[in-house]
Amino acid sequence: MSDVLHYIWLGILAVFQGPALFHLLGFALPAAPVMLFFGLLTGIAVGATPGLAGPMAMAISLPILISVFGFTPDALLPVFGFLIGIMKGATVGGAVPAILFNTPGTPDALMTTLDGHPMARAGQPRRALRIAQISSVAGDTFSDLVLFVCAPFLAILVERVLDLPEKTALLVLSLSFVAAVMGKSLGRGLLSVSIGLLAAYVATGQDFYPRLTMGLPGLENGFPMVAAVLGVLIVGEIFCSIEDLLRAGTSRATADGGPEKRTSDGLQPGDLKRITPYIARSAIIGTVIGAMPGVGSTLAAMLGYTFGKRRHEARRGPADTPFGQGAPEGIAATEAANSAVSGANLIPVLSLGIPGNAAAVFLILAADSIGGFNPGPAVFRFTAPEVNPELVIAFGIFTLMSLGNILNWTIGGAFMRSLGVLARIPNRYLLPVVLLVTLTSIYVQETSFFALWVTFGFGILGYLFRRAAVPVLPFVIAFILAKPLEETAREAFAATGGDPLFLFRSPVSLLLFGATIGSIIFLHRTSDRHEPPSGPRETR
Amino acid sequence: MSLKQANIVFGGLALLAAILALLLWLPNDTGSAMIVHVRGRVKIGDALAPAVALAILVAAGLLIMVEALKQGGSALPSGDNIRFCAVLFLLFSGAIVLMRWTGPLAVWLAGPGEGIGYRELRDSVPWKYLGFMTGGTFLVAGLISLAEWRITWKAVMIGLAATILLILLYDLPFDDLLLPPNGDV
Amino acid sequence: MKSVLASLALAAALVSAPFHAWADGWAPPGPIKMLIGFAAGGGADTQARLIAQGLEKKYGWKVLPEQAPGNSGLNLAKQLASEPADGTAFGMVVTETLAYSAVASKNPDFELSKFTSLATTARFQLGLVAMKGGEFDSWDKVKAAAAAGKPIRFGTASDRQADVAYHLGQKTGIDFNIVPVKGGAGVMNGLRGGDLDIGWVAGAQSKPVKQGEMINIASGIPAALIDNPEAPKITDLGSDFNLDGYFMFIAPGNMAPDVRKALGDAIRDVLTDSSTEAYAFAQKAFGGASVVTGEELDGYMADSVDASKKLIKAVSN
Repeated sequence: MSDVLHYIWLGILAVFQGPALFHLLGFALPAAPVMLFFGLLTGIAVGATPGLAGPMAMAISLPILISVFGFTPDALLPVFGFLIGIMKGATVGGAVPAILFNTPGTPDALMTTLDGHPMARAGQPRRALRIAQISSVAGDTFSDLVLFVCAPFLAILVERVLDLPEKTALLVLSLSFVAAVMGKSLGRGLLSVSIGLLAAYVATGQDFYPRLTMGLPGLENGFPMVAAVLGVLIVGEIFCSIEDLLRAGTSRATADGGPEKRTSDGLQPGDLKRITPYIARSAIIGTVIGAMPGVGSTLAAMLGYTFGKRRHEARRGPADTPFGQGAPEGIAATEAANSAVSGANLIPVLSLGIPGNAAAVFLILAADSIGGFNPGPAVFRFTAPEVNPELVIAFGIFTLMSLGNILNWTIGGAFMRSLGVLARIPNRYLLPVVLLVTLTSIYVQETSFFALWVTFGFGILGYLFRRAAVPVLPFVIAFILAKPLEETAREAFAATGGDPLFLFRSPVSLLLFGATIGSIIFLHRTSDRHEPPSGPRETR
Repeated sequence: MSLKQANIVFGGLALLAAILALLLWLPNDTGSAMIVHVRGRVKIGDALAPAVALAILVAAGLLIMVEALKQGGSALPSGDNIRFCAVLFLLFSGAIVLMRWTGPLAVWLAGPGEGIGYRELRDSVPWKYLGFMTGGTFLVAGLISLAEWRITWKAVMIGLAATILLILLYDLPFDDLLLPPNGDV
Repeated sequence: MKSVLASLALAAALVSAPFHAWADGWAPPGPIKMLIGFAAGGGADTQARLIAQGLEKKYGWKVLPEQAPGNSGLNLAKQLASEPADGTAFGMVVTETLAYSAVASKNPDFELSKFTSLATTARFQLGLVAMKGGEFDSWDKVKAAAAAGKPIRFGTASDRQADVAYHLGQKTGIDFNIVPVKGGAGVMNGLRGGDLDIGWVAGAQSKPVKQGEMINIASGIPAALIDNPEAPKITDLGSDFNLDGYFMFIAPGNMAPDVRKALGDAIRDVLTDSSTEAYAFAQKAFGGASVVTGEELDGYMADSVDASKKLIKAVSN
């Protein structure tokens, strides 16, 4: 036990006594916490900008960070500091445009629009932002604590129980779940899933022949993920909104976007008590989801929202706002769940070296490029008396994460609300600019006009989906999970020596398939009973 | 055509598309079958995953038809929606053409000559910004004008300001990042 | 209006026009497009970007790196084929791209003669890797487990690796379950998670091996491995083929000899100058740079193509 405490102390020291970034009034400012601070501000701003997401900002900053700090182990904590800052900031910041403009800044914030935006339109944007911040940081903090305690144990256990066939079954379960839960109709949910899978399978096979490209040379690298996902999620939404503005005519154009009436804004008495159970439940959901590699925060947000909604409808009094019309519980359930993923996501990363989401991928890439820290089981060897430097780094990362949470609790909220000045910009000016930012950031990443055409094409698809009451989220999740699904299936099939029934050989995978069928039958019937109460485009 | 009938047609079209794709597209546009034997290994081929996706589409089409019969069906895009898509396509194409060709055109008209084309100048101010500024401004101003249903100088100024801001954000601090069209020339 | 614009543009162009450094012989006639055939952020990508940086610093050339990953480098080759051969476009792949992958694709567009090999940068330290202290941490244990009827999962990151794994199995009488995964990182993740038993890794295993987490149980190259010199060569275990290779820069075909030489020399210069970051990185990540250029490289590539044809023939029956 004293070993553990000793390592924790060494980790804290490594953060605060690391190399100095610069000297201020005779005091050396340690690089790691300073980088964390700037990363956090960047992350909040990036999360608040639709079209920019945390991973994108991490991708752009990683090469810069490495050229600034070099390839020595001293560079690890400052670089991790900035990346963790972005990661944490983006989860909080993503709620800003979701609440103010009904446009999710990150895919995770999609469900935040459902209640956050109605609350903002009802004249309480600050209250919605405050609830989002509290829930998000609370979920994140809880998740981090679980990470600190469980990192060595839980992921190793998951890995040990789930072999390749079971991992395949787990992915199938997530997809069927999504199709069943989202939207009004199972048929339309499955339509969305199938098109998402199909789009992801274009030109992504193992053969030299690029499959499903219809001979088009531009398609040989497949659809870039950012282009497809941002196209359907963000561009499609922008197209819908512009058409709505156009059809509403110029008379209404001045009234859109900002709050319509003034009521008492800011946190209301009783809010905290009201949302606490939802935060707690969603934090646990998000943490459990996050600990499973490959199952991301979007699913966690959706589950958190769905379970929160179910509980809310069972207990709601006549005076309470229902989910979908600006319920504070709805914001809390979503934000706590999607933020709780980020900490737990590092459990498989740190203990097994397997990334669970895009943000974790960049942490691994940073560790890999700099050297001196190899995320994996070897990290958690408590050696004494000789010090295991990797374990010190691991506890340094934990220290940075805790510090990031403290910053998020304190200055994060104020910075986030200051971004709310954007609320005064009418949507008819803002949305076209957001579209240009989205297209530009995609071009900067992909450096080809083809990616822009793909984005536009998927934007039109997203627009048509919304007009046809087809939910877009199953498409996005299917698109993201398609490759891992095919890969694990291939690996499982090959690893079992070509057993055609490889998916049905173990009790665990049979259990998971049982849950798959159950989710379709059971969850679909419940979604029939409770028609979502929101507007014509509930499928966002 | 009632909404119910429209939904039945919609589901039917999805079903038809899936079946045609399974029978015609998939076998002709994949490099290997669903299960392949290569050089002593048995492995899943490139056709299996898309086939599963299309099988789900078959199920989706059938379910949409059944749901329409049972519950009457949900909203579908109207003719106006399709026309709106066409307008968006024209705007977007215009923006891309401007982004791609403003720079080369300006170099051709007023460049330094001596066989130096846009490709050689794609990293030089001001040439490298010309396409992004005209195309970006056109796109933003066009969409604002579409939403407001009138063309104003304000829309153009907002577009110009947005492009300049993005140049400041991406191009000035980061040497390696390329703005449109400079990765394509 | 037009004349004002034109004169403004001209003035700005004079200030910032690309300068042509004719002093040292050849210089590129414009910014160089450097394609990278690997995913962003990995070891190979970092290496390429640091070389780009070194070329900019040492020569004042403008180098713009771009990602072009996928299909074992053939996507990059295809894109490169449509670029000019004037030295303003080249890309980083592996020697395997123009050898095994090109041959296996049966596509004449990828023939060796359609490209110019500029310079290699680092040689593979390719080993057959297993978890140290695990069930398979020596070749003898692998053989014993196979003899006992236990299925063995063999991770491979490319078709060439899969072919050599199959061939090795044929020669040693072991029926491996060959599992294709994504890259050397995928193999190591599989080993750590227990999803794979053994697998090929082309150099990234160096750190886990040094830290005692993994071990090379055989060498896939024609030499002993730096980290585990005691590991037998697969050619000694019965295989007729090895998995030797380099990271390499290629350019479009029919490049003028002086341009090819200038580019190859510049790359060599950056990689052998101990003050560059590219040098430091090559030391750390690949045990040092290994630069082959000119006719020597052409000879190596021709041999690699022959070996690939033989390998594909050997495993195709």
